[in-house]
This record gives sequence, structure tokens and C-alpha cells, in this order.
Amino acid sequence: MNDIQKAQYNEKYKRAKRNGEKFFPDTLYKDLLIAIALFLLLVGLAAFIGVAAEPRADPSDTTYIPRPEWYFLFLFEMLKFFPGSIEWVGTTIIPGAAVIALLLLPFYDKNPNRHWKRRKFALTFMSVVVAAMVFLTIRAVITTPPQKDVGAVATTLPAKIAAGLDFYSVQCNECHGAEGEGGVIKGVKGLEGFKMKPINSQDEMYTRSDDTLYNIIEYGQPSLGMPPFGKAFGGELSRSDIGNLVTYLRYTWDNRVELPKEAAQTNAIPTLGPTDIPSYDVNIAPIVKRYCVSCHRPGKENNNYVMGSYADVMNSGDHKPNVVPGDLNSNLIRMIHREKIDAGGEMPPTKALSPDLVAIFERWVKAGAPEKPKK
Amino acid sequence: MISKRVFPWLDERLGLTTIYKTTLDRMVPKVNWWFTLGSATLFLFVMQLVTGIMLSVYYVPSPDKAYDSIEYIMTGVAFGWLIRGIHHWGATLMVITVFIHMLRVFFYAAYKYPREITWTTGVFLLLATLGMGFTGYLLPWNQKAYWATTVGTSIAGSVPGIGDFILRALRGGSDLSAVTLARFFSAHIWMLPAVIIALIGVHLYLVIRLGISSVPKEND
Repeated sequence: MNDIQKAQYNEKYKRAKRNGEKFFPDTLYKDLLIAIALFLLLVGLAAFIGVAAEPRADPSDTTYIPRPEWYFLFLFEMLKFFPGSIEWVGTTIIPGAAVIALLLLPFYDKNPNRHWKRRKFALTFMSVVVAAMVFLTIRAVITTPPQKDVGAVATTLPAKIAAGLDFYSVQCNECHGAEGEGGVIKGVKGLEGFKMKPINSQDEMYTRSDDTLYNIIEYGQPSLGMPPFGKAFGGELSRSDIGNLVTYLRYTWDNRVELPKEAAQTNAIPTLGPTDIPSYDVNIAPIVKRYCVSCHRPGKENNNYVMGSYADVMNSGDHKPNVVPGDLNSNLIRMIHREKIDAGGEMPPTKALSPDLVAIFERWVKAGAPEKPKK
Repeated sequence: MISKRVFPWLDERLGLTTIYKTTLDRMVPKVNWWFTLGSATLFLFVMQLVTGIMLSVYYVPSPDKAYDSIEYIMTGVAFGWLIRGIHHWGATLMVITVFIHMLRVFFYAAYKYPREITWTTGVFLLLATLGMGFTGYLLPWNQKAYWATTVGTSIAGSVPGIGDFILRALRGGSDLSAVTLARFFSAHIWMLPAVIIALIGVHLYLVIRLGISSVPKEND
């Protein structure tokens, strides 16, 4: 802009100001209204949508699909157009050029006009860029595969304890027993006959901090025969999983802390009234999950009897069927009564089920082993 | 009355009337609602500052404790969920308002004479805001944060020649670690806010000194 144009502009601006308004309060009230609206919007978003819970960072979990915050998605998507050896064009040249172009805009845009009709090139160019950014963002959202479902993230104490119990039942039961009571290990490869000490005692709980428990579970104690359970070392548990497991142990066995009532309720196995008819979904599944699945799942020595679902409980295994509706001489019933039969020995191997639980199994089989509860 | 004596005494020493006249009691061109985006961004920044300071009371920047400390903020601290929720959504809204503010200035040609430096500081403010988003994203130390930052820093590492140096400078080593978290935390709560506050000072000074731009007329 030359001096004449500058003087012209300043003259026009002075006129605009003279015909204008007072900054306070005429202009400022609009800003205040917007600020109030934004505040309400923020509180609304925080209250009604909130922040989604995410699992703990786990460097060993390579299945996680990384994605940046949404306002970087367009950059992320753009990189797909510059694969391999020309990646640096997408990561350096284009963003770098864009930043420099923005910074220096007033110094190379010599067009003195301000109305949009006289700045068609600049406005078209910017519109195309913005449209491309929007397009790339949408494309990134559409083309990114959904995250592997890890289930709900436990954020409250009862939810963590419940999640921890599930992991305990599957991962720890076969050696440590359903209540951490230990005993002589049966049916676990490499540890057959090993006498496991109880881990639910005051001694154990008072002398091991949460961190110690966490490390023992993650790294294992190979010299004592305990394998590592952390994903990074070949186990099945993520860091969040181990954290929940430790929470479960602490709140269940440490008599210095009290198990929250809500957690006790979620973890309890449903009881049966005298006339109720037990069903798999309501009554049997929780017992199976807690006392059987640790061994009766794929990859364990169990005569191929897996107990993950109703169909498997009824119809899997080398000696199937192990449950015959109405027949109290079914393999499963005889074995939980600690008979030794062709299909195998006493079950669970180390400690008998309590009479209440055995009774639930018997009533269930007698009632025809239904899957769903009757209404 | 006491105010009759106190105000002149303060005014004589602090120049309150002058401040009022130069900042509030001045004529500006009549403008439309698009011109509220700058102050909206400023408001969001102040909200981020306030909620961020509150969060820093309970947040622990270490890989062992960061996740748990945020969980505690969400479930244990009174209204912690609200403070974190506002901080979380405020970041998203602020990126949006900064960007639309920039587009507004561009489409009304407000970056031209005499407001070139206002524009340049604004671009730096945009970059610093994005930097805040990038560094803040890692702090919860959850899966999303960890892997997004892993990818984000490795993208920065692909710059020819100095890429490896940038990568190591960002991560404080070859992999994400406690050092990375400490670095991002420091950048997020000290370095970038200091830069942003200083730039906002210059930006606002220029806006007040030059006056807000007017909506261009057909012959402009």
C-alpha cells in the first residue's frame, strides 16, 4: 500500500468510527453474551457428555489403533497421500509451507482491496484449503477402523472390584483356589502336586503393598513356578486389568479395608428361594465363572470340556454330554459330589464346592437345565 | 462520603480514568456477531487457565500415578468431573473458535494495513493453541494418549536431516517414558501458557491501539 492508499484507508476508518458505537457497553455486551453462552455450553458438555473413560496406557498392547485428537486428523489423513520415502513432503514441506504462508500473508498479499468482490482469488484459495481440511477430517473419521472393543472401563471402586474378580477367577483360580486358599495343585501342567500356600492371609496382605502385588502379577515369580501375567511378558492381562485385580485382592482379603456394600452385592452368587427354578444365565453362569472356567477354557488340560457358554457347558468335551437335563447321574453332578469316574476325578480338584452351590446345580439339572430364567 | 475521597486518591496514583478512556470509553465501528470470536477465544483461554490450575492441584505427572490421579479427580474430588470436563471440552471449543476467528479476519481482510503485526501474533497464538492441544493430550496417560503421542512424535521425527533430533528432544529419549511426560507437562503448564499470555498481551494492545477493523464496504 502506498501513502495515498494508507491515507484513504485511515480517512474511511475514522468515518466508520464516527458513525460507530461505544465499545463499552455497545460492543462489549455481545462479547459478554457469547461468554455466558459458551460457559453454559461447557458445563452442559461436561455434565451430559463428560469425558470418556479410557484404559490405562499400555506400551505392550500393540493392537491399539492410534489416532490423534480430532483437530489433527486432517494432517494424519493427508500423510496417507505421501507414502514411504516421500513421507517428509507431507510431514514437513506442506505444513511448513502452510505456516510460513499464514505468517507472512499480510506482507505478500499486496492487493489493497478489502471487499470480497475484489479479492476473489484469495477467498477462493482459502475456501478450497478449508474445504480440503474438512474433507480430510471426514475421510479420516470414516476410514479409521473402530477400536477393538475392550468392554467398559471400570472407573468406580465396585466396578473395579467386580472386574478384578473376573480376572482372578480366570487367571488365578487354578493354582490359588477360588478364595486364595491354596492347597495341592491338581491338573496344572508343570505344577502338579505343588503345595500352594494360602495367599488370602493377613500376613500376605499386610506385608505386600499394592505395587508389590502389581509387580508380582505382571512379572510373575518364575523361581516359584508363577508365570508372568502382564501382556508385555506373554501373559493375558493389560495394565488396567492387573490394577483391577490388585484392587480386588486388597478389598477382599485385607481386613484393614472394608469391601464396599455395592461390590459385595455384585460379586455375590445369586441365592435361590425354595420354589425358584434355577437357570444357566442367572444362577449357574456366576458359579461356573468363579469356580470352573480357570481350567475349563481353551488351552488348558480339561478333556476339551470348556465352560464359557451355555452351549459349551451342555455339549463340549471328550465325555460329552456332561450335563443331561433331568439326570442327576450326569458326569458334572457326580464329579462335584467328588466321585471318581471315567470322565475324570473330583471337581473342583482342590476344594469341594459348598453344599449350597452343589444344591443349585442339582436343582438346575432336575429342572431340565434351562438356559433362560422362566418369567 | 469515603468513595468521594478514595477514588480521586487512587485515580491520581493509578490513572484509572485514563485506563477507562483508552480501553472502554472509545468509539469503534459498528460490527456484527462474527467479531465476538476473538473475545470468545480469550474467555475460553481464561477458563482453561482456571480449570487447568485447579487440575494441577491433584494431577501427578508420572507414568505410575498420572492415570490414577485423573481417576481420583473424576471420582474422588468434589466437582472434579466438572472441572476436568470443562477443561477437556474447552480445549476442543478453543481450537474451533481460534480457527474461525482466523477465517473471519481473513475473509474481512482485517490483516491488511495497519494490522499486519496483529495477524502475525495471531498466527503464533494459533500454533501455540495447537501445541497446548498436543501436549495436553498425553497427560492422562491412557491408551489413547500414549499411542496418539507415539504416532505424533514419530511424525515430527520424519523431518529430513533433523528429524531424529526433534524426535529425541520431544520424547527425551528414543521411546515415550517418564521424561516425555515431564516434558509435555512442563510445556503444557509453563512454557506454552507463558508464550500465549505474552502474545495475548501484544495482540490485545494492538487491537486497542489500532481499533477493531470495520466490515468492508463494496468500495473498500
